[in-house]
Amino acid sequence: MPPRLCSLLRVSHTIARPAAEISPFLLPFLYTQQRSSSILGSLTNVPGAVRRRKRVGRGPSSGKGKTSGRGHKGQKQHGKVPLGFNGGQTKDEVVAGKRGDHNFASFAVDMIPLNLYKLQDWVDQGRLDPSKPITIKELCESRCVSNVKDGVKLLAKGSEQIKDPLNIIISRASAKAIATIEAAGGSVTTRYYTPFAIKRILQGRMDPIVSLQSKASEIQQASKKTFYSRLPDPTSRKDIEYYRDPAHRGYMSHLVPEGHGPSLFFKTPGTGKRAARKTSKSRVSAADNRMW
Amino acid sequence: MAAPSLWSSLQCLRKSTSALLSARDPVMQCLAPRLSRPMATEVELPQSQIYNPFTPMISRRPPPPVPEVLATVYSFPNMEPLRFTHYPANQLHLPLRRDILHRAVIYEASVHRGMRTANTKWRSEVHGSNRKIRPQKGTGKARLGDRKSPMLRGGGVAFGPHPRDMSTKLPRKIYDLAWRTALSYRYRRGELIVVQKVEDLETDNSWLIESIMEQHGWGRKDGKSLLVTRRVMPKLFAALNGSKDGQPGALQHGIVKEEADIDVKDLLEMGRVVIEKRSLDSILRDHSSDLNMTVPSAVHT
Repeated sequence: MPPRLCSLLRVSHTIARPAAEISPFLLPFLYTQQRSSSILGSLTNVPGAVRRRKRVGRGPSSGKGKTSGRGHKGQKQHGKVPLGFNGGQTKDEVVAGKRGDHNFASFAVDMIPLNLYKLQDWVDQGRLDPSKPITIKELCESRCVSNVKDGVKLLAKGSEQIKDPLNIIISRASAKAIATIEAAGGSVTTRYYTPFAIKRILQGRMDPIVSLQSKASEIQQASKKTFYSRLPDPTSRKDIEYYRDPAHRGYMSHLVPEGHGPSLFFKTPGTGKRAARKTSKSRVSAADNRMW
Repeated sequence: MAAPSLWSSLQCLRKSTSALLSARDPVMQCLAPRLSRPMATEVELPQSQIYNPFTPMISRRPPPPVPEVLATVYSFPNMEPLRFTHYPANQLHLPLRRDILHRAVIYEASVHRGMRTANTKWRSEVHGSNRKIRPQKGTGKARLGDRKSPMLRGGGVAFGPHPRDMSTKLPRKIYDLAWRTALSYRYRRGELIVVQKVEDLETDNSWLIESIMEQHGWGRKDGKSLLVTRRVMPKLFAALNGSKDGQPGALQHGIVKEEADIDVKDLLEMGRVVIEKRSLDSILRDHSSDLNMTVPSAVHT
């Protein structure tokens, strides 16, 4: 197509204006091409934004032409070889399979660590309210922790930065973290969560604090809001013992009688029946039978 | 010798100014669009001042103010300038990103293509028996299985078309950026004309809208125009787009679309975009997901 100057020139001729009458500084504009063209024709992606598909068997210049990246001869060239296949000999993983403690990882609880410096930072940023209880719901909502699986454990890194009294309800806490929070005038309660419970709590369909075995005073204080499902309590001995322990600030520690330990198996020395009998009868009788 | 040359240059200057004043002068028509020159003082957007919600300091320090640009609001169809209005530079003065616009246009086209419905039956889907047609050996003919083999007439179709979804995906934030980039591109070239309110015409005859378009330099000669209204206006739409009962319309001069009907490609297609202010505001409001991000917080005020 010839350049489209003619029409513009024709327009300027029909006005029959001598060339001198047009200001000299406008002359370059008169002879430029003027078209209203859309930007749509010149839109492109950034080079390298799209990765070209590998096309095998399309000639030597494609780099994957002759054998299509499958090498020469045999089953591997023509089809599939089963995974772990050893040429008919017993598979390696059958002869020398994994043994031992490799499976224990799937039973371990996956606690997300939360350090004190981060907690204080979030409070300073105004993303956590120190006047209200900080639970797993608040922590997830403010993205202080994310991808919570089995729970969150409070750790003591940056403990010198804690200055606000915080009321924290969390899965687990280290001894130093508990001491730091309490020294600042706050409180820590550890309580049991399951992955299902965490999911429901984040949906707002389960109470994040109160369950059946919580302290009676806490149950009374709890908000009147009704929830779709109830927060579960631990059923395994290991968990029950953790949350019965006052040293962990467990939420079930009120169930432990005065002077008793948290264990469900070992009785506290001096609290059994035999010990009670011994203390009451034998001492008295011993006093009676004194010769001297 | 100096005096006449000075005189002639002065005359030249006077003529050039008179040429500038006459709007229908063809030279001037080539130079710049008359009505839609931006009234804004264009401010360079310093990169450091762009509001980035992911800097950790954000909730401790308020975000820096975003510079604003001016736009003139006109009346329709008289196009009398009514007032100025402000828009943040991150809405109407974004740098041109051809790659972002490209991705948005491709995305819209693919979504528009949507589901392809062509469908054929493979041999297992064709109705019929699995009976062997003839014995394997002894007939002197080819070996055949059942009647639904793709090799036979009436059999299934091998490698035939099946319904498939042609749509692609684009992150919401990129698509929103594309909307605002397209509007910014129009704004910076003076091709975004904001009108206060578009009233419906008295007649659905297209002579009126044709004369309006030509009068304002929006017509075919000037690269057509897209009119965007908030709602469908029956007479205006019939006059410009034509109607089903045989009215031709004035599509050679442009097209009018409802706000809900336009996309990024529409904004880029024609010579300029004439848009109702409330439509522009609504588009900018709906396509700001990358600006309105808030820091996740558990404190609800």
